[in-house]
Amino acid sequence: MSLFQAILLGILGGIGIWDSRVMGMCMIERPLILGPLVGLILGDFQTGIIMGAALELVMMGIVGIGSATPPDTVSGGILATAFAITSGLDVSAAVALALPIATLGQIVGTLVRTANGYFIHRADKAAEKGDYKGVDKALWGGAILFFAAYFTLVFTGAYLGSSVIGAFVAMIPGSVTAGFKVASGMLPALGIAILMQLLLNKKNVAFLFIGWALTSLLGVNTVGVAVIGTTIAYVIYQNMSNKTVVAEKVASDDLGGEL
Amino acid sequence: MAENLKKTSKEESVMTPDLFKKTFFRSFPLQACFCYERMQNVGFAYQMIPALKKLYPNKDEASEALKRHLAIFNTTPAIVTFITGAAIALEEKFKKAKEAGEECDEDSINAVKTALMGPLAGIGDSFFWGTFRIIGAGIGATMAANGSILGALLFLLIYNIPHLLIRYQGLKIGYKSGVNFLSSMSEGGIIAKLTDAAKILGLIVVGSMCASMVKLSTPLVFHIAGAEVVVQTIFDSIITGFLPLGLTLVTYNLLRKGMKTTTILWGMILIGILGSVFGIL
Repeated sequence: MSLFQAILLGILGGIGIWDSRVMGMCMIERPLILGPLVGLILGDFQTGIIMGAALELVMMGIVGIGSATPPDTVSGGILATAFAITSGLDVSAAVALALPIATLGQIVGTLVRTANGYFIHRADKAAEKGDYKGVDKALWGGAILFFAAYFTLVFTGAYLGSSVIGAFVAMIPGSVTAGFKVASGMLPALGIAILMQLLLNKKNVAFLFIGWALTSLLGVNTVGVAVIGTTIAYVIYQNMSNKTVVAEKVASDDLGGEL
Repeated sequence: MAENLKKTSKEESVMTPDLFKKTFFRSFPLQACFCYERMQNVGFAYQMIPALKKLYPNKDEASEALKRHLAIFNTTPAIVTFITGAAIALEEKFKKAKEAGEECDEDSINAVKTALMGPLAGIGDSFFWGTFRIIGAGIGATMAANGSILGALLFLLIYNIPHLLIRYQGLKIGYKSGVNFLSSMSEGGIIAKLTDAAKILGLIVVGSMCASMVKLSTPLVFHIAGAEVVVQTIFDSIITGFLPLGLTLVTYNLLRKGMKTTTILWGMILIGILGSVFGIL
């Protein structure tokens, strides 16, 4: 990897973190999008696309909900794709490598989100003076800090890493690589389970199995499942609206509890 | 849209088309200065600034207003404009009331913001994270795994078309109905119903993902009295895809019992390695 390519990857890292900071979270930060862009920079578009898809599946459950700082999909996604291209790692080995990198990126993210306290206090001072421009400046100060931190992380990883990581990969015994392959098949279960926590309750648990049966037993693809799912959700939404009307009408003789 | 705004601007509304555009674009860098201490506070103040500048050109009032909007704030970025719109409407209303000599408590603007940010984040998370993103990424990743760039493009479209529409409409709806918009909607229970329906759609897609994305099988073969017993065939003859579904449900239960995601993550890698060393997985 040339110095120039490492710089470009660093800039991509900055853009990746800026997606959720400055661009309102348009999903550019996801491995599915970053993968092909890394491929373009390193001259192997095809591998970039395929790595992006593999990493997306593993990292699907990792999202920044609430105030938590999740493992960093930006640095993990960019560097794992880059190493897959430059060191010729196969998909499962690169996926396994993405996780330690994402954990490192998480630490960097935590540091920036703590250090931004400085800019918050700058904003407080500007507010004290009624200085609108000062608040603007404080915001962009935080934004620049995010960009700089992720540029440095991805640039350093890309520039030093390709040979260091290459040597590291050569040392890994075959059974461990095979194990990573098994693990990379299992890891999407974690992402899915995290999503289930967000969606599942006692009333709607049955719908999970409809989706599962459609694909596992009937072989329906994702588009098909989305269409069927939308139809079911629409019908149920309509039913709920009707029910409230009916419920209001029969509210006087409510037997629901006993039946 | 533009006509509506013109109509309201005739009634000396602060929300001119120009201000609307400025506020809309300023809603994107909500998390640019994210900090654990007060989260998205600077970002929220940043998007209020065009309206505040217009309402409070003098320094003292500006200072009060800016301090007010630098209070702790956190919600789903895509739906923040509902709250921005409502906050602008309130600022305007309060300013007029004050000029008319009424007494009013500006702290209630922050109370409204805080009251809205939680429930809206709940709705926003289940729509954007649990539904649009999952469908987009699910379809996109399947296409991309076969080497097609269309997967990535489709993902961006499926997520961002609703994202930008809601961000834009949110500012309109939020401003127009000011404080009353959420209470009027939740009276009819529309939001609760929509959230329920969105969750159902999300769950169906998630269920399908259990089958298409989780891969787990066993190469185990027993030799009993000369006969070969292939364990995976037994699993397959009971239900196809028994192991991936089982794994997902077990993981879900571990999460519910409070096990940390990183623990599970490393546990899975360890199980993978041990499993393949011993030839179980």
